[in-house]
Order: sequence, then C-alpha cells, then structure tokens
Amino acid sequence: MKVLSIGWVNVRRVVRDRTGLFFLVALPLMLVFILGAAFGGATTPVVGVVGDAGALSADDAVRVRNFPDEPALRSAVEHGEVSAGLVRTDDNAPRLLVRADRTGQQLRMLVTTSLTREANRIAAGEFVAAQTGLDRDTALSLVDSAGVEPVEVRVSTTGEALFPAGYSGFDLGAANQLIVFTFLNSLTTAAFLVETRSLGVTRRMLATPTRARTVVAGEALGRVSIALLQGLIVLVGSALLFGVRWGDPLGAASLLCAFALVSGGAGLLLGSICRTQQQTTGAGILLGLSLAAFGGCMVPLEFFSPLLRKVAFATPHGWANDGFAALTRRGGDLLTVAPHLAVLLGFAAVLFSLGAWTLRRAVTR
Amino acid sequence: MTVLSCSGLKRRFDDVLAVDDVSFTIAEGETYGLLGPNGAGKTTTISMITGVLERDAGEVFVDGVAMSTHTIAAKRLVGYVPQELALYPDLTGRENLRFFANLYGAGRRRVEFVLDVVGLTERADDLAREYSGGMKRRLNVAIGLLHEPRLLVLDEPTAGVDPQSRNQILENVRALAAQGMAILYTTHYMEEAERLCDRVGVIDSGRLIAEGTRRELVERLGERDRISLQLDGDLTHAASLLGAIRDVRGVAPHGHGLELVVDDARECLPAVLSAISTNGVVVRSVEVTEPNLETVFLHLTGKALRE
Ligand SMILES: Nc1ncnc2c1ncn2[C@@H]1O[C@H](COP(=O)(O)OP(=O)(O)OP(=O)(O)O)[C@@H](O)[C@H]1O
Ligand SMILES: [Mg+2]
Repeated sequence: MKVLSIGWVNVRRVVRDRTGLFFLVALPLMLVFILGAAFGGATTPVVGVVGDAGALSADDAVRVRNFPDEPALRSAVEHGEVSAGLVRTDDNAPRLLVRADRTGQQLRMLVTTSLTREANRIAAGEFVAAQTGLDRDTALSLVDSAGVEPVEVRVSTTGEALFPAGYSGFDLGAANQLIVFTFLNSLTTAAFLVETRSLGVTRRMLATPTRARTVVAGEALGRVSIALLQGLIVLVGSALLFGVRWGDPLGAASLLCAFALVSGGAGLLLGSICRTQQQTTGAGILLGLSLAAFGGCMVPLEFFSPLLRKVAFATPHGWANDGFAALTRRGGDLLTVAPHLAVLLGFAAVLFSLGAWTLRRAVTR
Repeated sequence: MTVLSCSGLKRRFDDVLAVDDVSFTIAEGETYGLLGPNGAGKTTTISMITGVLERDAGEVFVDGVAMSTHTIAAKRLVGYVPQELALYPDLTGRENLRFFANLYGAGRRRVEFVLDVVGLTERADDLAREYSGGMKRRLNVAIGLLHEPRLLVLDEPTAGVDPQSRNQILENVRALAAQGMAILYTTHYMEEAERLCDRVGVIDSGRLIAEGTRRELVERLGERDRISLQLDGDLTHAASLLGAIRDVRGVAPHGHGLELVVDDARECLPAVLSAISTNGVVVRSVEVTEPNLETVFLHLTGKALRE
C-alpha cells in the first residue's frame, strides 16, 4: 500500500532523528516525573525518630526512620530529608520537630493522635492492673479486647473532591503532558513535511504513478502516526514507570486516538502552509504552548474563571483535558467521554480537510 | 516510433508566462536536448510533461497515452529526474530507492540493479546526507530508472557535479538511449548537449524558437565555418588569391589579416595555407571556428547559455 509506505517513511524519519527522540520520549516522561514529584502526591511522609517510635511504626500514614541523636535528626528535618522529627527519650515529654509548612501541620496532628492513643491504652492497662491485681500484660490484652468503638461522626460530603483519594500528582501531570506533547510535537515535526515539500520529494512522488490524494493521505497518515506514537509513549511510559492510572482503558484509548487525529490534522495543515522549517518549528511551539495553556494543561481547569473556561473549551486541549479528567478523577468511562470524542473528531475533520486541501494545492499548483 | 508527443503546452504563473505554446516529439531511442537560459521555462515544460504541474493548455501523450485523461497509466511510462535533489537526506540510498520503488511498483531486485547501474552499491547503506554531491546526483538519477520507463526526463542531472560522476551519468544516459529509451534532457553544458543529443530544441522566454539537429540549426542560421588568418604582406593580393579557392565563400579584412567564410574548414585549410605561402605572404596565426550550439544559442537568444 502506497499510503502506508508514505506514512511509514514519515515515522521512520522522526524516530531516526536523535534530538527529536529526546523531545519525543525523554522530555515528556521527565516532565511527568518532575511535576508529579513537585505536586507531591504519591509519597507517604517520613518521620525521623530518636528513641522508641512506639505506635508510630504501626501507623500506615507515615513511615519511620530512626536517627541516633537529636542534631542528626534536626539537620535531616531542616534539609527536607524527612518530613518531621520525633524526639522521644524516657525522661522527657516527646518533642516534634517540623518545618513551617502544611506537611508539618498535618504530621503534628497525626503524631499527636497516634501517641495519645498509645498513652491512653497504657494508662487504661495500668488502671485495670491496679484494680484487679492482674499482671500488666494480661491487663493490657484485656483493654485491647474491650475494643472501644470509635465515636461515629456522621459525615456528608458536598461537592466533588477536586482530586479523589489516591490521586497523585503523577496522574495529574501525565494527562497534561500527554496532551501538550502530542499536539506540540505533531506541530514541530511537521517541519519534516515542509522539508519533504521544499526538497521536491513530494512533487517527485506525484511524478510516480500515484494519485495526488494518495500522496496527501500518506502524509496525513504519517502525521497522525507520529502523534499517536507520542501519545502512546506518554501513556504507556507513565503507567509503567510511575504507576499512573488512566482510568477506563477503552475511554483512554479512544481519547488518545481522537486527540492524535486532531494533532495530526493540525500538523498536516501547518506543514502545508509553512515555507521553511524554522517557521514551522517556531509557529509550532507558539501554538502548541499557548493552546496548552488556554486548554488547562498548565493550570487545572478548575482554577479558571468562567470566561477562561469558555476559552478553554474552544480548544481541543480543553476537551481532551476534561475528557481525561473525567476518566481519571471522576471514574468515567467511554460513554462519559462520548461528547469529548465527538468534539475532538469534529476538530480533526476540519483540520484534515483544510490540511489536505492546502497540501494538494501547494504541491500541484 | 514516437514516444513523447506534446503540443500547445502553456503555463502562466501570475504575470509570468513561463511556457507559451510549446510542442515537440521524441522518438524511441532518441535523445532530445531542451536548451535555454535561466528562467526560459525548461523546468516548467518538464513539470507539465511529467504530470506534476497542472497545464493551462496543451496535451502530453506518452506512447499514445494521454496525460490528462489517463494520468496514472501515462506516469507509469515516465521516469523523472528533477533538477533539485529530491531525496530524503536522512534515509540511506537503498531506503530512498526502496521507497520510490514502492511508489513505482518496482521490486527489490530492481533497486539493487539500479544501485549497480549508477555505481552506488557499496555506499547503499549510508545516509544520503553523507553522500558527496556527485553521489547524490547519481542517486537522484537512479530513482528515475527504477521502473524501466519508456521516456526518461532529466532536468539538469549533472548540475554542479565532478567530472567522474558526470561521465558516469552521461554514460548511463547513452546506454539507456541505445536500449531504446526516449530521453528528454536539459542542461547548461553545451558540450553535454553536443555529445549526447540527437536533436535540440532551443527555448527562450517560454517559447520554442528553434529545433533540429546541430547541423540543421547551424545551417538554418546561415552560420558557416570560419578561418581567421593573421598575415604579414600584401593583404589585397592575398585576398584575391584566397577568394579564388573553390570552397571559400567570402573574404573580409579582419584585424591584421583576413577572415574567410568556408564550407568545411578542416577540408579546405590545406588549400588555403598552400595558396598563401607560395605567394610570399607570411602567416602569423591561423584560427578555425566551427559554429557550435553555443554560437547558435547566442545568435538565437542573444544570451550565453551559462550566465
Ligand atoms: N512556482 C512558480 N511560481 C511562480 N513563478 C514560477 C514558478 N516556477 C517557475 N516560475 C517562473 O517561470 C519562469 C520559468 O521558470 P523555469 O523554472 O521553468 O525555468 P528554467 O528554464 O528551468 O530555468 P533554469 O535554467 O534556471 O532551471 C521563470 O520566470 C520563473 O520565475
Ligand atoms: Mg530549471
């Protein structure tokens, strides 16, 4: 198939370009990692402890690391190696070292609760021992078996959680990077199409017994394949490397394909309009980044003003972004993102028609 | 048998009439040279013949197949070597050939064959970007040969090429013509045209202003061979002596000597020299000018072929 042949040459050229490969593979995954780590989500806080960690070691919400003395612990807290430090020697009351930030506040609550519960249990045990004359261990197990029911506080939620439990900064970053890079790199690699045109290779294809529409379709297939490849690299790479959850697989795959079509169409159009490779790269970066910003890939859509939200949903990025959010954060499936898919396919259809028409004109005129 | 026949080709770019009513034919095994100064319309003509550029008017038939109505069938008969290096620089020579072989429907064997024909087998797996200028040109030619076309169109295939690669390309073209391929060739090198082309068309400002073999063109212009003599002695006497020789058509003073217009300079030069020396006139220098395509070209267009 000639269309496949032309499409394949496009992919091959992009993959063969070493610097291009950096932008295609390394950079997006690095950004997923950096942004994920910066937003902090996935890791359990570490509490450094001098002395006996006690009940803290059994608490799932923190991890305990032991330190030999207070100066070492203090330095570790100051340098952010641990989120907080607990000094617990026999003679004095426990002391907690925290930094003045939110994690510090949260840990203070956590450690206090944990230690209080432990102290209560021991006090109760000693009381039982004193009253009954049983030995201490038996008394304590009696206390444990009493199993004080925690007070039930009725909670009703209102509104949706911005980020559901277990949703990490990696999950948030990955969807954004997928959208940003699939589109951006589809535009910048359109420089290859401009090169193909300016070298006269496209014309040469037309001199072979190949229809103009086949040539155009082949170039279009090439652009879409590159966009799809880029999307897959972020999707699969982030899932394997950082355990990012993409939600319903069918929904995610459809969104990826639809957005790759949009990106490929935009690449085809840009590559047919531009005259030089520099022009293409420049316009590609400008368009790619500004659409990403307006589409909520840099600041979450939830923080947008109503007007900006309207703008966001005028871009394919906004739709793709909201679609992925529906899958990963709101537990949606293919049906939930059907409107998103429809809009994205609409964008793709318009971009492809314009791109195909322009390319055909550019090479046969 | 006529392989290419084009008639009334016309193409305008905005306010430039690039090609205006160009018609010619090329027979089987014939090599036709299209000569013209920069911007004459050679590439535009060729682009219309190969079907990569839309025509404003005119028709192209290859082996009787009309380019306008049976585009794909007609293109199957034409090999095209464009003026620019239309290759993927980041693919190897072999990959470039395989890609175009797919488009032409030619097999892998054919790829190896043309690699051998243009002498690139050993470098076939290097990136085209790393080829020398001459090697790139040869690869450019090779792509045009992939599907054994009936008509091979070469647009300045030797531009900016070292003598070794040039000779290889010229030899290839000659061999293909000998096998019966019809060849349309443009060049800025007059000696190439004279060495290669059976017939020449001269194009200027989009119009085909003359056509024929070299000798036909030369004769149509009334151009003759000339012998310039620098002489010491009695010029008037010498002139009357020389005018009496059978092949000499005219004698005129020229610097410190005479210029003769003759039918065939090589044949009558001995007679001229002996006539003068027996009469006490001393010959200082002799210069023979045979009109060539360059002269024809200058005469017709007022421009040198290479500007
Ligand atoms: N795509 C185009 N757009 C506008 N003008 C064009 C285009 N292609 C060619 N021309 C014009 O048409 C005329 C003929 O150009 P063409 O390339 O056919 O000349 P040429 O004989 O091949 O010249 P050269 O020897 O320099 O290759 C020129 O005036 C050129 O500027
Ligand atoms: Mg030209």
